[in-house]
Amino acid sequence: MGASLVKALVNIFNKFIAFVFCLYLLTACTQIKPSFEKDTLRINIGSEPPSLDWHVAVDSTSFDVVSNLMTGLTQYRPDLSCAPACAKNWEVLDKGKRYIFHLREDIFWSDGKRLTAHDFCYGWLRMLNPNTAAQYAYFLYDIENAFEFNTGKIKDESLVGVKALDDNTLEVKLKKPAAYFINLTAICPSYPMRKDIIEKWQDKWTDVEHMVVNGPFLLSRWEHEYKIELSANPNYFEGKPKLKKIKMFMIPEQATAFALYENNQLDFIDNRSFATPDVYRYKSSPEYLNVPLLRNNYIGFNVLKMPFADARIRQAISMAIDRSIFPLILRRNELPTSSWIPPSLSGYSKNSGFVYDVNKAKSLLAQAGYPSGKNFPKVSLLFPTREDTKLVMEAIQDQLKRNLNINIELVNQEWKVYLATLRRDAPPMFRSSWGADYPDPETFMNLFTSYSGNNDTSWKNTQYDKLIERAEAEQNSKLRAVLYARADRLLCHDQAVIAPTYLSTQNAMVKPWVHGIALNALDLQFFKTVTIDNEFKSGDK
Amino acid sequence: MFWLIIKRIFSALIVLWIVATITFVLVRIVPGGPFDADKNLPPQIIANLKAKYHLDKSVSEQYVLYLARLAKGDLGVSYKYVNRSVNDILKDAFPVSCQLGLLGLVFAIVFGIALGTIAAVNRGSTLDTLAMIKVTLGISLPSFVIGALLIFVFGIQFKILPVGLWESPYHMILPALTLAASPAAYLARLTRSSILEIIQKDWVRTARCKGLSFWQTIIKHVLRNALVPIVTVLGPLTAILITGSFVVEFIYAIPGMGRFFITAVTNRDYDLIIGTTLVFGLILIIANTIVDIVYVMLNPKMQIEG
Repeated sequence: MGASLVKALVNIFNKFIAFVFCLYLLTACTQIKPSFEKDTLRINIGSEPPSLDWHVAVDSTSFDVVSNLMTGLTQYRPDLSCAPACAKNWEVLDKGKRYIFHLREDIFWSDGKRLTAHDFCYGWLRMLNPNTAAQYAYFLYDIENAFEFNTGKIKDESLVGVKALDDNTLEVKLKKPAAYFINLTAICPSYPMRKDIIEKWQDKWTDVEHMVVNGPFLLSRWEHEYKIELSANPNYFEGKPKLKKIKMFMIPEQATAFALYENNQLDFIDNRSFATPDVYRYKSSPEYLNVPLLRNNYIGFNVLKMPFADARIRQAISMAIDRSIFPLILRRNELPTSSWIPPSLSGYSKNSGFVYDVNKAKSLLAQAGYPSGKNFPKVSLLFPTREDTKLVMEAIQDQLKRNLNINIELVNQEWKVYLATLRRDAPPMFRSSWGADYPDPETFMNLFTSYSGNNDTSWKNTQYDKLIERAEAEQNSKLRAVLYARADRLLCHDQAVIAPTYLSTQNAMVKPWVHGIALNALDLQFFKTVTIDNEFKSGDK
Repeated sequence: MFWLIIKRIFSALIVLWIVATITFVLVRIVPGGPFDADKNLPPQIIANLKAKYHLDKSVSEQYVLYLARLAKGDLGVSYKYVNRSVNDILKDAFPVSCQLGLLGLVFAIVFGIALGTIAAVNRGSTLDTLAMIKVTLGISLPSFVIGALLIFVFGIQFKILPVGLWESPYHMILPALTLAASPAAYLARLTRSSILEIIQKDWVRTARCKGLSFWQTIIKHVLRNALVPIVTVLGPLTAILITGSFVVEFIYAIPGMGRFFITAVTNRDYDLIIGTTLVFGLILIIANTIVDIVYVMLNPKMQIEG
């Protein structure tokens, strides 16, 4: 009897399997040959962009989308220098304190309305308006009265140093000369904005049906947490892009995104889709691309905490770290560095940091009262919980033990808890990093001024502050580079407040049918010049 | 039945209020705030942000404001996804999780009960051992391992099913199977032990003596009674499955609400954390109420005690 039931159940089970198998076969028809769309680029942006409102967005995912929807006064060339965009040219007056931008007259918003200087003026004032609560409003603090307006000290926006002199002329007055200011006109927070659109749609203005842009692509679809689609803007002032469509998927899991790439369902992937073993496996593939980013990682010392009040100890530690080991551990072609300014920026000098020298490090430690690391207190090194960071921290712990005989206690915390600890009471040693907002040494060097909110080392040095202030105002680029190099040496060598470790890299894979993708050190992705070889992609070639 | 529903609605409101209050307090105790980022913002900008989201007010004022909004069905706004309300976020994500969860539930019930029955009626045989090995694997293998295996076999090796994304019904098969693996194993074990217990009852023998075939006895009498403990676990199971799974949605890139249970916390997105918790609580209450009703349908002798 039992056997007959089993037979019946097995029969049902077999039918179910047969049904599922039929489904598989059906699926196979669609899956083996994925539907092919001409001139469409499929990429993975990893996660939902928190906002497409470029005055509110602060993250790279949002900027990856917005950078392809909008154009600012200037735009980056492949070498990250600023080229004219909405502004056909500009004048720098009053020793760098006043900028006059002359706008092109042939640029239109996607709804057909002409772009004017008033759109920039409105956009910047909106960004500074306290009600907007824009996190990156401080990017515009160099503008006269911008800080006062943003903090509510003045209410009259006409006092802020940005004015549309007429439809085609924008005047910007700075409170002090800022040689890096032109860089700010190429990044998302400085993009123009339409007053009528904001007033009409308010918080809903970034919805697909309301959004108005002036860049190479238009927002044509936004399925939250899943996919964004951009389509070519026929009215783009540099001509309609060759790509008809960009599909930006939000695939959080690297392995899934990589499998989709391998199955030809994605055309371009980067770090967000690229786990370390895969990078290692595909390093010699012609599809593989790699570029060092303007993102520097460092070990910071809290100079108020013992024993790091003594610069010799900080120097000894920085000197005892063999940085060449980091690319071997992380295996993403990281660039070891002991200076804070990355090599691709002006102001970089080989002499800013330390060369690995264990004997000299030992002798410095001995001079500071800890011969062979004897009696050196156990200090904690704080880092955010991440697998790759942990590997680096363990390597540093091991090197300091072997080279200097000092014991470091590793302490990891969840990201936001780590940030809260760092800002409340930074431990003696901590791991941190900084990514450039624009390609200028200022974005790195300003970090360790005594008035910076991001200086977690508690180090205050008037000489350093003065060097940075002079460099910021200096219009002569050679002299400026010299000033930054001096400040960098003071920071990383003479005072050794931080021990820079390595520059992070961007690793990407591009299918052979995609042309024109160029990675850059700012990690911004522009797709307006990308083309697809449709014959190759469809397998006809 | 009417009074049962009224009582349940009343107790549900109290439970949800307690859940909202506890979560409201807990999220504010956790170190780190919604606007902490690697780039520390100037204090003036933090002040602007806090003013925008009323976080500059005292915790008690925030609580009153939150409850007032909640009473109107407004779950608040996300601090991470600027200009999106929690209602909007959950409205987009919940149907996706629900769709996937229901399919997973169907797979879990079909496979679980079939496997459990086969094992029970063949107790001690090779079939039973095989079924129980499968059950142990289903329970002990975490879903990210099962998901990765399924993707590797069906998506990469044979290329017969999509490895991820949420485009068509075919895209649902692998995630639903991954989601169903563990509950199916659990249900199978439960079905097996439940059938083994019931199959020895006198009335089963009576049914057989009446001339019913073994097959009819199992389906009509044994399984129906064996389902009672299974239905008990189906309530919470349904709530868990239809509110989304972080792991399954993560590995298959599915835009459901499971991911918010984790990301809302890591982002300290206060209103979204409370919103997801409340939705989960509400679904759990509804599922349990339905289970109570199904109990009576399975066994009219049972009386509902509100």
